[in-house]
Amino acid sequence: MAEKFGVYLEKAGITDRATILIDTEGIVRHASSVGPGGRRNIDELLALATEINTKHPAKSPPLPAARKALSKDAVLYVREGCRFCAAVLRAAENLHCTNIFKVRDVTQDEGARRDLDSLAGEGAKVPALVEGGKVTQESGEIIRYLAEMYART
Amino acid sequence: MITVGTEAPDFTLETHFGTKLRLGDYRGRHNVLLLFYPLDWTPT
Repeated sequence: MAEKFGVYLEKAGITDRATILIDTEGIVRHASSVGPGGRRNIDELLALATEINTKHPAKSPPLPAARKALSKDAVLYVREGCRFCAAVLRAAENLHCTNIFKVRDVTQDEGARRDLDSLAGEGAKVPALVEGGKVTQESGEIIRYLAEMYART
Repeated sequence: MITVGTEAPDFTLETHFGTKLRLGDYRGRHNVLLLFYPLDWTPT
């Protein structure tokens, strides 16, 4: 597949650090590489992607149904400044399931701290996803759980 | 490197979630950002 795009580095057996932008008609609109050890210029790429999005607006059909759904009482406990919590929230955004659960911050809401402690033990770690009485901790576990239900391609 | 203005070759690859992802499925629907990320040895 990398060969088809001309970004396979045969001698090294790896791909180049390449970026390709393809529009809704399947036409390549941008192709560049910064070399395997290089750094992409994100601002520049974002500007290009924005331009393509304007010229070729996505025609998104409604999302297919989720494979399974979180129960309506699901709560994600987070803490401000916690990057693992941020990772879960970002993943949920990508999976289009942010509106499915309630978010409570244990540092800003005493009740949230109390509730989480009573469910998952004193000083329970965040992020924690609570569904019914079931507690899922560790960002990777929570993201995997959400993806199993909400990943739609 | 592929030439700008040409049609992107179709491909199907396995994703992190174990599902198949086909570039062609996005045609007529979405723009696609394709990032090649060397030495991470992960699926699509």
